[in-house]
Amino acid sequence: MDTKVIHHFPKPVDPNAPNIVAIKDLYKSFGDNHVLKGFDLNLRKGENLVVLGKSGSGKSVLIKCMVGLLYPEKGMVEVFDKNIPKLDRDELDHIRVKIGFLFQSSALYDSMTVRENLEFPLRRHWISKTRAEVDELVLEALENVGLKHAVDLMPSELSGGMRKRIGLARTLILKPDIILYDEPTTGLDPITSREISNLIVDIQHKYNTSSIIITHDMACAKIVSNRVIVLVNGIKFIEGTYDELEKSTDPQIKPFFE
Amino acid sequence: MPKKSVSAFKEFLWEVGGISDFTIRFFREGFKPRYEWSELGRQCFIIGYKTLPLVGVTAFIMGLVLTVQSRPTLEEFGAESYLPAMVALSVIREIGPVITALICAGKIGSSIGAELGSMKVTEQIDAMEVSGTNPFKYLVVTRVAACTLMLPLLVIIADLISLYAAYVGVNIKDVVSIDLFFSQVFNSLVFGDVLPALIKTYFFGFAIGIIGCYKGYNSMKGTEGVGIAANSAVVVSSLVVFILDLIAVQIAEIMGLT
Repeated sequence: MDTKVIHHFPKPVDPNAPNIVAIKDLYKSFGDNHVLKGFDLNLRKGENLVVLGKSGSGKSVLIKCMVGLLYPEKGMVEVFDKNIPKLDRDELDHIRVKIGFLFQSSALYDSMTVRENLEFPLRRHWISKTRAEVDELVLEALENVGLKHAVDLMPSELSGGMRKRIGLARTLILKPDIILYDEPTTGLDPITSREISNLIVDIQHKYNTSSIIITHDMACAKIVSNRVIVLVNGIKFIEGTYDELEKSTDPQIKPFFE
Repeated sequence: MPKKSVSAFKEFLWEVGGISDFTIRFFREGFKPRYEWSELGRQCFIIGYKTLPLVGVTAFIMGLVLTVQSRPTLEEFGAESYLPAMVALSVIREIGPVITALICAGKIGSSIGAELGSMKVTEQIDAMEVSGTNPFKYLVVTRVAACTLMLPLLVIIADLISLYAAYVGVNIKDVVSIDLFFSQVFNSLVFGDVLPALIKTYFFGFAIGIIGCYKGYNSMKGTEGVGIAANSAVVVSSLVVFILDLIAVQIAEIMGLT
């Protein structure tokens, strides 16, 4: 009998939980396009934080600055009390192992099978693991996303929803403390979107991860969020719980919930 | 000067600057641990072994055609006996290295450009980066090193196959034993014929690898960018092979090796 517990609500955050991500006064431009103009954000341990915003508002840029894929012009991006833009390559790689990143496109290595995709980060960071231990971790990660049977498939043989799940399994395999989700439900049908949203909540319950979820899918935001930040014109426009923001009459916020 | 020519010249200078910067980065990162031995081995197999059939067939045809077409001219002067020596010198000094390098520029350059280009476009390179793996070392250094190591081997094999084809070509009209043929071949060759030809193939291999990787790694967004990366990798690396050949000939002449 399947004894898997399904969680429908995000785990409440301990009010005394420390901040593990602190972003202050962040500026990032691409030529004349000023995307972030003094953005601030805090993420507490164990929290699911949703960042809402229109397409092109700089949501993905924000999380790419958190893992050193992009460098801001100005501002502080502290993860585990380390200022990411100031770290050298080795220090950055050390921090990156603790941060999982689920790409919008899933970004599976298409020349490798699902098993090899999952083994790739393991073999590079947990070198001392034996073959049996690696196999066990791969199957555990796949079981978490309900795709144990897909272990020997190639990414080209997977559907969009399966790719997202495998991407999530690869993200989970190093047991990160923080997971950054870049539009996890984009391009999926409503049923699969709900499954992915529920999976994000399950992962928070099971591993006590802290997550930043970038999305403009309100159904997903409702299911996964402890707190929501709305990014408008490059700054944090408003923050609160989903229910609080849903009641907002502000013309910048209301359209998201209609 | 027309505006178009100025912008094309600027673009050319940017390209030269970009490739130079990429080359410097290769030497800076390539010699620092951690070394990607298993990926280097895999790339040597793909680049060396999988290119061998194409190189072998081309080399055989090249040797045969060269012999068959040279015979009438030599016959006019009653110099058919110089046929093995003439073919050997042409193949070893020039035709073998240059034709093999051009075939590799087409096959390997385009495949590296397209592979890295599509990895870039589908965020696989970013995924590698955020998982704490240096994609430049894993993808670029290994491919460039494999090209540099494998091209001389491919050229040696191509030269031997060409010479065997020349032996077949000579025997179409005459009857010459293989011992006699190859003793004439080796009697006509000196150290100065073989060494510069071999050394320049390392540079050809390096150029093909670095240009293919540069084009793929810096390809623009979208599938169109992947096609452009593959195409320009072939065009630029073929051109660079000819330029390097010209420089190698001049250096060999200055050093008295011709």
